[in-house]
Amino acid sequence: MTIQQGSEVHVPLSAPESEAVEERAAVPAPPRRTLRTGFPWPVTVLLRLVAPAAIIGIWYLISQRERSGLFVKDPLTSFERFVEDFLSGDASRLFLGDATFDHLFPSVGRALAGLGIAIVVGVVIGVLLGISPVMTALFQPLVHLGRSLPSPALLGVFFFLFGTGDSPKIFLIAFSVVWPILLNTIDGVSSIGQTRAQAAQVFRIPGRDVLTHIVLPGAAPKIFAGIRTSLSFSLILMIISELQKSENGLGYLLIQSQRTFDYAGFWAVLIVLVILGVAFNTIFLAIERRALAWHRGATQQND
Amino acid sequence: MTETSVPPTGTSAELLLDAVSRSYGENLAVRSISAEVPASKISVIVGPSGCGKSTLLRIISGLDEPTSGRVEFEGVPVKGVPEGLAMVFQDYSRSLFPWMRVDKNVAFPIKHLPAKERAERVRFAMQEVGLSGKEKLYPWQMSGGMQQRVAIARALASHPKLLLMDEPYASVDAQTRADLEDLLMRIQAELGITVLVVTHDIDESVYLADRIIVLSAPPSVVTEVIEVDLPRPRDHIATKTDPRFVEIRGHVTRLLRSKEHAAPV
Repeated sequence: MTIQQGSEVHVPLSAPESEAVEERAAVPAPPRRTLRTGFPWPVTVLLRLVAPAAIIGIWYLISQRERSGLFVKDPLTSFERFVEDFLSGDASRLFLGDATFDHLFPSVGRALAGLGIAIVVGVVIGVLLGISPVMTALFQPLVHLGRSLPSPALLGVFFFLFGTGDSPKIFLIAFSVVWPILLNTIDGVSSIGQTRAQAAQVFRIPGRDVLTHIVLPGAAPKIFAGIRTSLSFSLILMIISELQKSENGLGYLLIQSQRTFDYAGFWAVLIVLVILGVAFNTIFLAIERRALAWHRGATQQND
Repeated sequence: MTETSVPPTGTSAELLLDAVSRSYGENLAVRSISAEVPASKISVIVGPSGCGKSTLLRIISGLDEPTSGRVEFEGVPVKGVPEGLAMVFQDYSRSLFPWMRVDKNVAFPIKHLPAKERAERVRFAMQEVGLSGKEKLYPWQMSGGMQQRVAIARALASHPKLLLMDEPYASVDAQTRADLEDLLMRIQAELGITVLVVTHDIDESVYLADRIIVLSAPPSVVTEVIEVDLPRPRDHIATKTDPRFVEIRGHVTRLLRSKEHAAPV
């Protein structure tokens, strides 16, 4: 274990009373090229590619067997089909194919709209419930009821309430993914702590500033954790909501390609879903890193 | 509006507690506390742990109301948090806001002021506590002693007449504690503010105080008020070896011992 210890500074035990030693050594931890694994980064990247490569290998093997090969198209054919459907437009369409405009964008639009509604509703109600113990007690049963409902079962209800088109799908997504955000917001708000609340009172901070500068930032780490869970939920619900009474969307495309025995098309949609999931997560992490930079630093220091 | 860099002196307030009691249901936390906190001096409330000091501080800062008795600040009964009061909490890591840089933390209570005056007050407060140049750090990038100095700077930035300190140095190591005690005395002498410290550390109470208010075990009453006539400026070696210091410390220790073991009446 002789990895990169050269940068450590040894402070003599009898250090003079200088400010320099009082200040903790790790001012925003310098970006290290050795991720958590402790390996140099090329090794880490290689390690991370092992599992995806294995999956593609297994996929290929299955597609080569006689019976399963009828349904499972091999990775290359599927990928070619993906490029053909989703990435083969001309420059005026940004090189994106018809399926991207007809199915991918409507799906992503619904998922984001549903998630957006869920974030707004979840945070607003979560803050209201979190700052008032009475409200929490009053609405706790309702929250737990809503959370434990298997929301896809309500798809019919949403069609009945909102007709066909985008709104039943958006509201189903919003209803399904609001719970992690709501519960985490309640939790986050109540975790801010007595002393900070008392400090705000003693310094006579006006209510609006308490909300925007203490309650929301204090609850933000928990809120972000909730949104992260909801994000993957929203993709699942996006597909489910498009399986019925739909004229476009990735879920519709999945069903349609199966019904027409177009299995290459089916696997192409699955490739899109994987890329979509990874892209959502990457974008979310980038936002979170920026917004919660203080939190990462603070928790690292306390370790 | 440029004279504001030095907080107004000479207008320091006096705090009066008159037969203050507080009970929670059946439980009497504070029986009857009467005391005066003189203006522009350091007063220290010392008592055994669980002597209702938190309750008392909440009442003085207007966050809680006494069951009976009255609290007056500058001759006006306290209702809600009075203007001109600032507080330093025991647990700096919980009272500072980790999502704000140090300068934002210090400026937060005076957000309503014009930007220019705010910046000037932050600069002055940071300089007073010896943290100039550390404005852009986050609190968690600092040692405990530095964080508590940020908390003191935050209190100073609001130009308090009365500075309340709740066990301010209980969470830092001994050396830092000694430095912070001297820092407090220097700032108090410079700005002439009224300081009320609550502690259970007898040495600290005698070292800091002009007046010590000794509390009994709960339900608390004031056992004795001691005027500390040790010369200022004080020094950790000279003052603490002064026979008068040793005498007062012994006296306070005896008071706390006897009361701690006495059965509540």
